[in-house]
Amino acid sequence: MSTKIKDKILNTITYFASGISVFVLGAVLVFLFSKGFSTLNWDLIVNNYWSQNLLGTVDSVGGDYTISEEVDGIYSARWGIALKDNVNSQKEKVIEVTYIHPESPLKTMLSSSAGDNNKEITLEDGYTIQKIDIVTSDGIPTFTGKIMSQDAATVISNIDSAQKITSIYYKTTGGGIRSSLITTLYLIVISLVIALPIGVCSAIYLHEYASKSKLNKLIRQGIETLTGVPSIVYGLMGVTVLFPVTQLFGATTTSILLGGLTMSIILLPTIMKSTEEALIVVPQSLRDGSLSLGATKSQTIFKVVLPCAVNGILTGVLLSIGRVIGESAALIYTMGTFINDSPKLLSQGTTLSLMIWSFMSGEQPNFELASAISIIILVIVLVLNFIVKAIAKKFTKNFA
Amino acid sequence: METSFIVKDLDLFYGDKQALKKINMELYKNKVTAFIGPSGCGKSTFLRCLNRMNDLIEGCKIVGTIEKDGVNIYSSKTDIVDLRTKVGMVFQKPNPFPMSIFDNVAYGPRCQGLKDKKHLEEIVTKALKQAALYEEVKDRLNESALGLSGGQQQRLCIARCIAMEPEVILMDEPTSALDPIATAKIEELIEELKNDYTIIIVTHSMQQASRISDYTAFFLLGEVVEFDNTKLVFSTPKDKRTEDYITGRFG
Repeated sequence: MSTKIKDKILNTITYFASGISVFVLGAVLVFLFSKGFSTLNWDLIVNNYWSQNLLGTVDSVGGDYTISEEVDGIYSARWGIALKDNVNSQKEKVIEVTYIHPESPLKTMLSSSAGDNNKEITLEDGYTIQKIDIVTSDGIPTFTGKIMSQDAATVISNIDSAQKITSIYYKTTGGGIRSSLITTLYLIVISLVIALPIGVCSAIYLHEYASKSKLNKLIRQGIETLTGVPSIVYGLMGVTVLFPVTQLFGATTTSILLGGLTMSIILLPTIMKSTEEALIVVPQSLRDGSLSLGATKSQTIFKVVLPCAVNGILTGVLLSIGRVIGESAALIYTMGTFINDSPKLLSQGTTLSLMIWSFMSGEQPNFELASAISIIILVIVLVLNFIVKAIAKKFTKNFA
Repeated sequence: METSFIVKDLDLFYGDKQALKKINMELYKNKVTAFIGPSGCGKSTFLRCLNRMNDLIEGCKIVGTIEKDGVNIYSSKTDIVDLRTKVGMVFQKPNPFPMSIFDNVAYGPRCQGLKDKKHLEEIVTKALKQAALYEEVKDRLNESALGLSGGQQQRLCIARCIAMEPEVILMDEPTSALDPIATAKIEELIEELKNDYTIIIVTHSMQQASRISDYTAFFLLGEVVEFDNTKLVFSTPKDKRTEDYITGRFG
């Protein structure tokens, strides 16, 4: 075969391969966006996951809250409230509050739920109405709302014709991923704070200080092996070995701290490897130059070698962040799968990936929500990427 | 004449291989001494013995003594850091640190714990002036040293070395990576520096050795074949091998 044809075949293979990869990656993005974009909104990001049930005492006959502007849904001028039929992110039918007049008697009420009696509670846009207790024009107490399988129009006409509203039972907005977002960031910070210094320092030791002994080789081999260990094994180890450690800090269950510790162990080999690779590329002549100027070995390493290696180390950090965001197997054991709206260091929580896992492993997989979360994950990775790149640029501005 | 190094019976081994054999030599203060010889003859290795840079190479063993100011630098009491501040080194390839020009020159003093900004500025300015680089870089001291040309980078490395105010400057083929114009500048610089410093230079160019050095040592296969006044070495070499080498019959 002539060289020309061989070249052509090789070129075609590379073109073809890159074409396939671009197509596949593009398809993933298109799939995620087409499925999840409609579910994606700001409320999803800032809301709690669990909605609260609230019962407020109203005891009012209403008033006149006529407004001039158009509002979404059906507006009741007597009560100053607009309602709309909607479907929430869990695919349940709800009656949603789309507008509430600031002076409406339904806006601010006293709670009559057991536990927080007489606490002031408010009704906000986006909350859903479960039940409204009314007294009809005939003086008969009854109720209207979602639990009667009524729609927004019926509820509005019922309360408009009623003599008075005695109380209202409603749900705050839920289904948001705020807590998982926070937990994910928590986890990134905890695992990096632990793994980065340890990983970088041990890589420095292995590459710069340790002699080329057999033991050293063995350690290196071990680290390389650890990079390939499935994370579920780390998860098992975390829950058995590291749980007692978190108990010292007062943990009683699996916790975000435990997840962070486990993640930091998962990250350690990655960070060590990328740091070492970065150190290998630093030219020996720079080390010689520094030493010949009477710098000590540690001065050489921390003032000359390490700044040159920052780029490589940050690549390791980037890979680590990706790993933390994407991890689910190791975290099921160590953090639990309970979606916790007020994540704390020693409480359970879920990351975004775990949340996707929960949604998809339920009886009715929620593709839309999972895709929406995936988009958010993509955005987070992108933003962190930019931040790390900016830091790298700042560090290496002299490395032209 | 004052000596800066007295080398006695120096042997150097890389593992089993002997790279230097029974070297005896006196190196004089405020003179330029050139080491010439074919590649692999041990001249660079010997140069690196003088500031103990060979310590970094694994499996390198040294027998014999090198005395500086009456003290053996290979005795266990020697502070290597202190030795290297007194015996600076310029390498074959310019190796500026990836920092600003200022930080490069201030690196050595800073490592010694000097923090006073004004004092550092004085040192940097003085060193750059001595290295004949100041005029070219005075407006961009805070720019990356890697933006300089090869010749400028090498002069920066010399300035970096001078900033430590060493007694001796070791130069390991400092011009071999440079063009003729940059080489001429460095040679001029060496001429000026020898008033203040002892300079020991390894070079592949015999013309360079004859131009700039006061003393010349000819190395062959790890031995010093001839060491004498440069003029004598080049005009009336005592050894046949030296004559063959400098007349270009081998090497």
